[in-house]
Amino acid sequence: MTVRVRFHGRGGQGAKTASRILGNAAFNDGYFTQDFPIYGAERRGAPVTAFTRFSREEITERGFIFSPDISAVMDDSLIADTLANPFSGLRRGGVAVVNTTKAKGSVVPGRDDVKSVCLDLTGQALKTLGKPVLSAGIAAAVARISGINKEALLTAVVDELKDIGLSAEMVQKNVGFAAAIYGELSPLELKTEELDAREELVPLAVVVSEGGIEAVTQAGNSAIRHTGNWRTFRPNIDYEKCTDCMMCYAYCPESAMAVGPDGRVKIDYDNCKGCMICMVECPLKAISQTLEGGA
Amino acid sequence: MKGRLLTGNAAAAAAARLARVDYVPAYPITPQTEIIETIADWVREGTMDSKFVQLESEHSMMTAAGAASLAGARVFTATSSQGLLYALEMLYNVSGWRAPMLLVNVSRGLAAPIVLEPDHNDVLAARDSGFLQLHSETCQEVADLVLLAYRVAEDKRVSLPAIVNLDGFYLSFTREPVVLPDQGKVDQFLPPYEPVSPLSASRPVARGSAVMEGFVYSYFRYNLHAAALRAKNVFNEAAGEYEQLFGREYGPVEGYMLDDAEYVLVMSNSFTALGRQAVKRMRERGVHAGLLKLRMVRPFPTEEVAALLRGRKVVGVFDQNLSPGLGGIFYSEVAGALYHVKNRPKAILPAVGALGGKQITAKEMDSVFEEMVRIDRDGVTPSPMFLMRDDELARVRKAVAIAEGRS
Amino acid sequence: MATATRFRTLKDMPKEDYLSPGNTLCAGCGGILALRIFHKVLGPKVAWVNAAGCMTVSMSYPLSPLKSNWLYTAFASAPAGAQGVRDALDVLMAKGKLPASEDLKVVVVSGDGAAYDIGLQSTSGAIDRRLDFYYLCYDNEAYGNTGFQMSTSTPYGSSTKTTPATAAYPLGNTARKKDLFEVWRAMKAPYVATLANSHGLDFLRKVERGSEIKGPRLYIAFAACPTGWGFDTRNSVEIEKLAVQTGVWPLKESVNGAVRHTFVPRALIPVSDYLKTQERFNHLFEPSEKTEAIDAIQESVNVYWKEAGAREGFEVKLPGSSSR
Ligand code: SF4
Ligand code: SF4
Ligand code: SF4
Repeated sequence: MTVRVRFHGRGGQGAKTASRILGNAAFNDGYFTQDFPIYGAERRGAPVTAFTRFSREEITERGFIFSPDISAVMDDSLIADTLANPFSGLRRGGVAVVNTTKAKGSVVPGRDDVKSVCLDLTGQALKTLGKPVLSAGIAAAVARISGINKEALLTAVVDELKDIGLSAEMVQKNVGFAAAIYGELSPLELKTEELDAREELVPLAVVVSEGGIEAVTQAGNSAIRHTGNWRTFRPNIDYEKCTDCMMCYAYCPESAMAVGPDGRVKIDYDNCKGCMICMVECPLKAISQTLEGGA
Repeated sequence: MKGRLLTGNAAAAAAARLARVDYVPAYPITPQTEIIETIADWVREGTMDSKFVQLESEHSMMTAAGAASLAGARVFTATSSQGLLYALEMLYNVSGWRAPMLLVNVSRGLAAPIVLEPDHNDVLAARDSGFLQLHSETCQEVADLVLLAYRVAEDKRVSLPAIVNLDGFYLSFTREPVVLPDQGKVDQFLPPYEPVSPLSASRPVARGSAVMEGFVYSYFRYNLHAAALRAKNVFNEAAGEYEQLFGREYGPVEGYMLDDAEYVLVMSNSFTALGRQAVKRMRERGVHAGLLKLRMVRPFPTEEVAALLRGRKVVGVFDQNLSPGLGGIFYSEVAGALYHVKNRPKAILPAVGALGGKQITAKEMDSVFEEMVRIDRDGVTPSPMFLMRDDELARVRKAVAIAEGRS
Repeated sequence: MATATRFRTLKDMPKEDYLSPGNTLCAGCGGILALRIFHKVLGPKVAWVNAAGCMTVSMSYPLSPLKSNWLYTAFASAPAGAQGVRDALDVLMAKGKLPASEDLKVVVVSGDGAAYDIGLQSTSGAIDRRLDFYYLCYDNEAYGNTGFQMSTSTPYGSSTKTTPATAAYPLGNTARKKDLFEVWRAMKAPYVATLANSHGLDFLRKVERGSEIKGPRLYIAFAACPTGWGFDTRNSVEIEKLAVQTGVWPLKESVNGAVRHTFVPRALIPVSDYLKTQERFNHLFEPSEKTEAIDAIQESVNVYWKEAGAREGFEVKLPGSSSR
């Protein structure tokens, strides 16, 4: 049986690295393995997808995983993100592994035929690594659930993280992080079944009768992207301290601040990416941060 | 004799002026340079109301051309050979932008080794770029096709850039009588350019975005293909009107002595004239020879080729180009067009010749027909022909010996 | 140039944003911040002509983060694209086919890869033709869009993906950063300026000044790149400030060839204070400090400011080579 894992993260969280740690771990454990990432236009903070397949028999599949056995979601804001759509095609009997503090119980809307595993990886990562980098933790969770051997996993963590240039100290912290997550969980039965595909082919005549010239005539329409869910930290303005000096406004790279008619700056949380430049630049220290998704 | 003596280059320039182009970004390269020199002259004399700018490369020239077209200008430019290849990246962009500008390519063989005379590897390197391609046999055709190409390219059902091709030297520097259409009638035939969603202060637009997802890309690319396919009917429509206004008839292909022809040679561009002579000579010898000229190369006139070649005994394809490791390019395209035809010819003979403008004698031309007859008579599978004479080979060998110090 | 400015304090920064929220670039990107501020001064009637880089993928169909026009051309030829747009507008207006109210400011926007390397030929053509356009280069000192490989803008001592610091090559990149400012000046561009987001007023005024000039205008915006340089996004503006205060990134302009430094630090902060903030320079400090290389960087900064001061008649207090 082939185990198909689809990782969903935001750029910078380590989805690609997670898929490689898992791939490497399975390989160490004697499986045939395949892992690969998909890059989009987006940068740090935007949805990223990566894949791992492993099997005792030779793998004959290739490419995008439409029907994962395990969907590993590194950021719970992705659940509602239609671009990421992390549970699409998740098999009956499959597992959703989600990094979250909010959700408990079932996290896959409308699906009672899948299992959910909820973990506070961000909290753990901030505690053990000091950074919300989740690759080792999420890979460990998936490895444990799918029954991969611990030594195989920890060796993979070391190899992959060394490979991307982490310091020996950081690598060791990640090994600790992975081992802790691995210890929290136990293997789950992965008897899964593919959902019935409801797709139909489009007749060519339909495609070609539409004109199809690429032009965005709604210039400036990007606000509907809602990059607000990229945030790890949320800036909060203390209007008592704020003197309307506009430094924060001047230096927000996202145009995610506006100056109202009352002269007060306002944050557009739909699109603020949480870079926290505003906090650092505020001369009055009137901006503070809170962890998104935190209790 | 009607008209006046014009070279192919002069005919191209004159047609650009008749089309009232707004903008001519340019860069010199032999044998095209005369076109842009002529236009530069006219613009500076004030007899052509366009802006002429010399860029620093063909790549930049094509970028400026496409960008200007998107900003609403009717754009003309010209190049040859290496220049076309240097611009090739932008050809794909400009067609992807669906910017209906016109490029005249004056065919010249590609380096290395360097050569000045024509073959069609240059223009055929652009065959997958999304540019429409019309190839001309005479200087008259050059002028007419420039006007037709604008009309088709700018049609909203098409909205694609176009190349009009002419052979270096054999047309570019050859003077022959050309009848230039009357400006008033041209204005009637070719209305002012109306861009689709141009760059605009009042209605801003983003063009050339990244799509990132394969299905979005597929959608736009396939629509580009569909627009190119539509261009054939739009061309036929326009050509019908053109004939009424100017009395000259143009189709995607042109047959010569095809009625009862059993052995038909497919050719393109200026060397087609040599094929016509061979047909006449074969006819005198009692061979039912005929010729099919490809005028439209993109979109490829699949139906016309199939309709006109069905039922023939043997077809030959004269390729003045060479895809190393494959052979002639048109050969595969013609064979592809014939595959599903019921009574398709029993053999298709590939013949490659006239690379780098190598001269072709009557004997060489006839040999292609003779081979077609032999294939038919003996029922043999054709093997590729490469046209070269023994006197030429002797001269090459001598040159090689000199170059290598063995003489 | 003592023309009146509409920017007296940073508070005078125009309140209209022509960059919409929701772009796809990294959080904390100095490049997009520079574009945002630039656009505020130019106003809405702009045609951005782009060469391949991070900004290219910010324009991700079907969304556009710009309320103005955008045209992606190719890596090598954005200035030629600007030429085409400018010429088309000019000829259409001259022929009466386009009202003057539809005129656009044409701005090339590219990273340093296009501006310093692959697009330099096209740039030189546009300058020689005195094309009336702006060139905004967001300079993050490497090919950021492809994952941070060296460009000719990469400074001495920076590690990149193609000039990694290894035991055999302990310094990373050992080539000097190309002086694009001087390249443009040598080509007689009427206006050339450097910008830093951290010095917003200087930034606004330079764009304003450049707007009064016709012809090719270059703005090299120092673009702190959290992803490529390796620092926390929140420090993006602070790092630009440090680059200016250490003298690594001089703020200056050239009007018809006459160079003037628009910000002269009284005393330079040691360069190591700047280098230490970014992972791309880590190898200069770890596992052991590469004193010689750091001194060399300090020395080149010192020489720069000594020469600039001698030319323009100012004096900058320089840190000693060992004052780290
Ligand atoms: S954290 Fe502040 S500066 Fe950064 S995007 Fe949000 S509002 Fe803008
Ligand atoms: S920088 Fe601080 S004080 Fe100034 S407007 Fe922003 S929040 Fe208020
Ligand atoms: S890689 Fe650097 S320059 Fe590119 S978007 Fe990210 S921060 Fe900006």
